[in-house]
Amino acid sequence: MSELKDAESAEISYDFDIHSPDIADTVYDVYAEMREKCPVAHSPRYGGHWVATKYDTIHEVLRNPGVFSSESVNVPGTIGQDGPMIPIEVDPPDHQIYRKLINPLFSPKRMADLEPRIREITNELIDEMLKHEKVDFIDAFARALPSKVFLALMGWDLGDSEKFNHWADTIVLGEPGADEERATEVRTAAAMEVYAYFAEMIDERADSGDAEDITQILINGRFEDRELTQFEVLNILFLFLIGGLHTVQGQLAHTVIYMAEHPEVRKQLVGDLSLVPTAVEEMLRWESAVCPARVVKEDYVLDGVQLKAGDKILIPFASANHDGDQFPDPDTVDLTRDPNPHIAFGAGNHRCVGSHLARLELRIAFEELHRRIPDYRLDPADPPVRHLSQVKGVLTLPLIIGESV
Amino acid sequence: MSETSTASVDREACKGHGRCYMTDPDVFDSDDDGFPIVIGAARTPAELAELDRAVNNCPERAITVVATP
Repeated sequence: MSELKDAESAEISYDFDIHSPDIADTVYDVYAEMREKCPVAHSPRYGGHWVATKYDTIHEVLRNPGVFSSESVNVPGTIGQDGPMIPIEVDPPDHQIYRKLINPLFSPKRMADLEPRIREITNELIDEMLKHEKVDFIDAFARALPSKVFLALMGWDLGDSEKFNHWADTIVLGEPGADEERATEVRTAAAMEVYAYFAEMIDERADSGDAEDITQILINGRFEDRELTQFEVLNILFLFLIGGLHTVQGQLAHTVIYMAEHPEVRKQLVGDLSLVPTAVEEMLRWESAVCPARVVKEDYVLDGVQLKAGDKILIPFASANHDGDQFPDPDTVDLTRDPNPHIAFGAGNHRCVGSHLARLELRIAFEELHRRIPDYRLDPADPPVRHLSQVKGVLTLPLIIGESV
Repeated sequence: MSETSTASVDREACKGHGRCYMTDPDVFDSDDDGFPIVIGAARTPAELAELDRAVNNCPERAITVVATP
């Protein structure tokens, strides 16, 4: 009989820091080592927490909200939110009540209506990129597209996109290099500005009378037999911002880095844009940005490891999606991969509510970028800078337009 | 052989990823909230293969193939 391991077991101790810049370029090697040696590992960082790295184990955590609560999804515990982000930090049964209200706002059919507008925004950004021989793809495209699309979705002023980018980046990243206290301080300050902006939008739109307006729908939204409070509406909008911007930004940037470095794969896509839907899924699998946490509510044995009530566990989707027991040849990009049941958007109750919008943005961006800019390459003298954190991303991505390696 | 199959979706397990109706729009469609509805059946080998693809791409393992009544 094999003995249960626990937080004191030296063989599963692993010094993993989800915010460390030192492993931003090598985190997939780190995850591979963890899956091999200690698939449920204990890290001493941030007061001590678990990290699960296998697909099946992460799936088990996601599908068991009674044991693995979402009451706090961050390590360390705050990114500056005032109260729980709704609905990502809400457990059943309340969670489903919120989701019933929010799901239709992001349904595939509603998102499809946005397609022409997204294509237009995408092509305006590409028009601008084509005026230059070299751009920072983050500024020129990856940051701009999701924030403008978010503002278009909300019917707010697209001119505010730069402000939104600044807020989202600050809340996700804190202050790179700063200590935990300082990071929390800058996050909280940015979050306060976000809440103030949202409060203004709520005031402006409270009486707009537009039945299709999302702000209006939320203001009039109900939680069972009562109206949503302003506090709830603010924390729903806050999550839209956190969920929708930096995530898509990272996905676009990681895809372009890969395609710049692998011209044979890029040419395959350029030559046959009907591959875009499976290519989008494969790049989501290849670089899954999000690494949420869960709070363990009762003692539980996960893959032979004893977790205790009150523990926190990180579940990097990126690691699940590179698990060779689930995906044959997981470290190879195959634009036609099938089946590809990746969990880049999570699984279980908290499946990303914006996934249909994200997919639409990615599909249009993949199509238009490769239709209009079939050749691009990195600048070896000026390489991209990646960052880790719970939403993995790219800080700068210098890109030479019109040339290939 | 004239086997005809369709799909059964476990409504508890399904979380509305939408992979099924993206993969096999002949058998699945989306309702107004993004959850699947079963609208058709698969008959030919090609159609049955598409249905299998939808089953295997589901991240919640929520779909089973069933013989049409």
